[in-house]
Amino acid sequence: MAEDLTLLRDGIVRMLEAYGFEVVAAVGTGPDLLKALLTDNPDVAVVDVRLPPGFSDEGLRAALTARAEKPGLPILVLSQYVERLYARELLADGTGGIGYLLKDRVSDIGEFVDAVQRVAAGGTVLDPTVVAKLMGSKPKLPLTPREHEVLSHMAQGRSNAAIGAALFITEKAVANHTNNIFAKLGLQASEDDNRRVLAVLKFLEGY
Amino acid sequence: MTRVLPAVAVALCVAATVAWAVLGRGDFWPRWVYFGFGTVAAAVFVFRRALRTSSGRRRWLVVNAAFGGLLIAADLTIYVLSGGGYFWPVWTTLAVSALLGLHAYVVSKPPGKRERELAARVTSLARSRSGALDRQAAELKRVERDLHDGAQARMVSLALTLGLAGELLRRDPDGAEKLLLEARSTARSALDDLRAVMHSIHPPVLADRGLLDAVRALALDLAVPVTVAGTIEGEPSPAVETAAYFAVAECLGNVVKHSGATSAQVVFAAPLRVTVTDDGHGGVDPAAGSGLRGITERLEAVDGRLEVTSPAGGPTTIMITIPI
Repeated sequence: MAEDLTLLRDGIVRMLEAYGFEVVAAVGTGPDLLKALLTDNPDVAVVDVRLPPGFSDEGLRAALTARAEKPGLPILVLSQYVERLYARELLADGTGGIGYLLKDRVSDIGEFVDAVQRVAAGGTVLDPTVVAKLMGSKPKLPLTPREHEVLSHMAQGRSNAAIGAALFITEKAVANHTNNIFAKLGLQASEDDNRRVLAVLKFLEGY
Repeated sequence: MTRVLPAVAVALCVAATVAWAVLGRGDFWPRWVYFGFGTVAAAVFVFRRALRTSSGRRRWLVVNAAFGGLLIAADLTIYVLSGGGYFWPVWTTLAVSALLGLHAYVVSKPPGKRERELAARVTSLARSRSGALDRQAAELKRVERDLHDGAQARMVSLALTLGLAGELLRRDPDGAEKLLLEARSTARSALDDLRAVMHSIHPPVLADRGLLDAVRALALDLAVPVTVAGTIEGEPSPAVETAAYFAVAECLGNVVKHSGATSAQVVFAAPLRVTVTDDGHGGVDPAAGSGLRGITERLEAVDGRLEVTSPAGGPTTIMITIPI
């Protein structure tokens, strides 16, 4: 857990511990974060973008550096503001295990903990704001409106079952849509099946 | 040194006088020794005084006058010391007066091209500074209003809702829960408002990543596809970056709102020139809207310029240049 405001850091640590997580390191600066990411072998890291000493994007940079060394190291990035630019940088390596959420989202404890777990499991969780911005612009991907909707839910890290529940369709119908999406985006099935991650990356770049 | 030199001079004068008295008197030659040191002392005094004048064309006139005055005084002294006769210093006096008169005339003449340029620049600086101050005051007022109407109003309602929830906690737990949920959503809206206000003051990406990435992030959020290319040399000051960012943002906003373009391009060139081109229908009049005028003023505050080329039928090219 990396966050420079002690109050917020302690709050999130307490919340995570209440939900059965073991917090191996709670740090407050970029260099400390990078060290913890590389040496403490966390299953997942929750990281604030803006950290000392520079108070710019040290958290994001530490996350990218650590993931260059340990591909797929699951990291949930929290920020006071969200940018597609940063989302793209985080997802660019296509290995998944990335979350990018507004800091406000911690107020919805259930959803937040769920997001941490989905990222830990290798999923991709994008903030609804990023997704809404994408959906608001003119789509360039050759997808039907329904497939766009399914993809936007996928970008927020939802499972087929959850997407089905949100759109009032069966899980099987969702699976059909996702297969169509993969086919249209030219994503072949592979062994480590990270097509969901790649589809979200295309989603980010395709608008 | 300044104390030792006069002492040495006085000592030498005294020595010369003693030598003259000892060596059998005759013509009083030590007067030339007095004259030599006296001239040096007078010159030092006069030039020091003259150089105290504030720098500019007048200072050289004063130096010239000091030099002329000194020359005339020296000539008169020599004339007196050498025993009079034909009054030759009249020629030096005439020549020096003529030169001084000419110099004074040149100084009093209307300012040259460079001076006119400087004067124009002072006027433009004064205007852009007062413009910048006005804009800043208006900007602060807007921020105050945004905070007052947005986040602050929501905080008040949040406090109220929480208070009500506290009242209801025992008597009506279900009602209290509903109020708490409402409070959470109000807190979120307040955060959204704060974010919007902060973004309008200084975009966070600009603070974190600098101009190029801030424009890239901006371009990604626009409805019209925008490519961003080129590089920036060195690190522009925050004032320059902010002015350039808001100028580009205004241009791209116009592209989306008015131009009817299907694509646009932003190209950065060193040291800092940004060209925004779109394939819209053109016909942009920089004097018509308040937007372009506003950014022209904003750019002036950092010595920047805005050039618009926009023939009817397009394409529109806007070039922003800021010296670094």
